[in-house]
Amino acid sequence: MAREMIEHAQAEYPKEACGMVLGPGGRLVELHRLENVDPDPVMRYNVDPKELLRLTNYMYDKDWDMAAIYHSHTHSPAFPSATDVQLAGYPQAAYILLSLSDRQRPDLRAFRIIEGNITEMTVERTPNGQV
Amino acid sequence: MAVEVRIPTILRKHTGGAKAVESSGATVREIIDRLDGDHPGLKGAILAEGGEIHRFINIYLNDEDIRFSGALETPVADGDVVSILPAVAGGR
Repeated sequence: MAREMIEHAQAEYPKEACGMVLGPGGRLVELHRLENVDPDPVMRYNVDPKELLRLTNYMYDKDWDMAAIYHSHTHSPAFPSATDVQLAGYPQAAYILLSLSDRQRPDLRAFRIIEGNITEMTVERTPNGQV
Repeated sequence: MAVEVRIPTILRKHTGGAKAVESSGATVREIIDRLDGDHPGLKGAILAEGGEIHRFINIYLNDEDIRFSGALETPVADGDVVSILPAVAGGR
């Protein structure tokens, strides 16, 4: 799943890519690539509100939740920006940040962002270094 | 008009954990005003101080984003579903 996020981020470069992973009880089951409709997609992301509603209703009917929200930073580290923290409206989700500031060596880190507080989560990596 | 209001996880602290609550009113604004009586704090999390929708909150009446249909004055009908969703947004 991390590989798919990185592929998505590379495909959207230099724009920020964004998407969600849905599942029951916070499990990462289904990855959905979403459209970044922000007017300045190189600097910011904003998930298409129509897609957000569609997926929210889908989760509601299945009793699933938003397990993760991912987006890429194309020129800055894989760490939540002040804007990311200010707009973090999903305390139950892991916020996955992908950095393509070195496109040959994408970085991926995950965080919880709850009421302005950032806590890093553990990301498991395989022995060959793939996430 | 009785409607179902779907509450995002971040606002369920105002609803005792309920993921949907009932409200009533003739417009979306009335629905939200009435919600605040039963669930204090909810309105302040949805509307800005000027009484308009917070920029990064989306409100849908059934499948329509109310920003494009009359905003808070959008009329509601019995059985409608109002969904409140924080934007999924950020930036570097």
